[in-house]
Amino acid sequence: MSSDFETYEQDFGTLTAEITNKIGRIPKLAAEEKTQLVLNVDKQLEEVRELLEQMDLEVREIPIQSRGMFNSRLKSYKQEMEKLEKDFKRSRIAYSDEVRNELLREDGGSSETQRAHLLDNTESLERSSRRLDAGYQIAVETEQVGQEILTNLATDREKIQRSRDRLRETDANLGKSSRILTGMLRRIIQNRILVFILGAIILLTIVLALYFNLRGH
Amino acid sequence: MDNSGKEKEAIQLMAEADKKVKSSGSFLGGMFGGNNKVEEACEMYARAANMFKMAKNWSASGNAFCQAARLHMQLQNKHDSATSYVDAGNAFKKADPHEAIKCLNAAIDIYTDMGRFTIAAKHHITIAEVYESELVDIEKAIAHYEQAADYYKGEESNSSANKCLLKVATYSAQLEQYQKAIEIYEQVGTNTMDNPLLKYSAKEYFFKASLCHFIVDELNAKLAIGKYEEMFPAYSDSRECKLLKKLLEAYEEQNAEAFTEAVKEFDSISRLDQWLTTMLLRIKKTIQGDEGDLK
Repeated sequence: MSSDFETYEQDFGTLTAEITNKIGRIPKLAAEEKTQLVLNVDKQLEEVRELLEQMDLEVREIPIQSRGMFNSRLKSYKQEMEKLEKDFKRSRIAYSDEVRNELLREDGGSSETQRAHLLDNTESLERSSRRLDAGYQIAVETEQVGQEILTNLATDREKIQRSRDRLRETDANLGKSSRILTGMLRRIIQNRILVFILGAIILLTIVLALYFNLRGH
Repeated sequence: MDNSGKEKEAIQLMAEADKKVKSSGSFLGGMFGGNNKVEEACEMYARAANMFKMAKNWSASGNAFCQAARLHMQLQNKHDSATSYVDAGNAFKKADPHEAIKCLNAAIDIYTDMGRFTIAAKHHITIAEVYESELVDIEKAIAHYEQAADYYKGEESNSSANKCLLKVATYSAQLEQYQKAIEIYEQVGTNTMDNPLLKYSAKEYFFKASLCHFIVDELNAKLAIGKYEEMFPAYSDSRECKLLKKLLEAYEEQNAEAFTEAVKEFDSISRLDQWLTTMLLRIKKTIQGDEGDLK
């Protein structure tokens, strides 16, 4: 009977060792292996529980004197099993955490993709800042060109204004000259008339003189 | 075109014209329509000069034009004389700059005599350009530009006057006559501030004025910048003003590196032209001179 108990004890020991080992490995593994391992651990826990029950029965069959020691051992084994169950549950929760992370992060090689992302971002930032700089440069150049054009326009404006004023002056001068010319023309005509009249008077005087001379004869 | 043939023709014409002039000099010729002959001679000189131009014989062409001009003066045709002198000047420009300047000066005298200051100013500018480019006599160029500016001011062509004044200022600053340059830039700046077309260039003038102040004395520069900001609020927003403030700081700390950096930053956005680079270099040298070490 106690040898049975001891065999049970040994089995218990190996099983718990295995379970602890597997529980330790669970959080780090990938999906399918994890599910398998979890099932494994489940089965082993069941075995452990059965072992404990059998140990219990054995202990009851043992005479009361030696029961104390076996009882205490049994209690400690039960506590160990509870602890293992708790650990198992915790690792399963960790398991579900892992799954969530996996879902949100794509793959086990997550640090690499993060780096690639960051590099992409930096590059696009640099590209946009370069474009902004170029745009600014062009804006400044445009402003300078605009300044030059405005100065040219101002000069042209003055030129046009001056030409207009000169044109008006010339117009006035032309008017004046045309008036002078008409005046000249009038005087010429007057002079000519005068010359004709005087010529006519002289002729008349000569004719009269001759006439009176001839009459006087 | 048969150039050599043209030349020969031209020489022939010149000879004929000479003869005509001589013949009209004698008493008899002077009696019987000497003027007519002189006029014909003028015309022949002009034609000969044009043919020389075609044959690319610039100095002969210039000479012919000068002769024509002198004859015109004899005939009291001031306008024609002046135009012939100008033609002579243009022809000589390609061959002998000194002769060109002589002819152009003669033309200017005639124009100022007649009271045509605008044209005289224009020719002053031409002469100044010749000094600038071919004879590289900057002082004389400045003198001519100044004359031109004065004439333009007299004729109320403010923008042409400003153009000439700016050239004077640029060259004076190059020759280290900073006071003159400062005055001119300030004057032009204040004038253009009000004109809605030109006010965008005003900030450039203030910038140049401040730079000249800077070269003279750093304290002056600070006062000047304050004054300009007061007069012209848009100035304080411009990149040039910011550059100046940075340069002032760098100068106070005697830090040539910060200076160079600020200049480089400005240059990356809008290229610095020759004049600006020279001025900035001078300022930088004063910094390094004060520091006394090799940066």
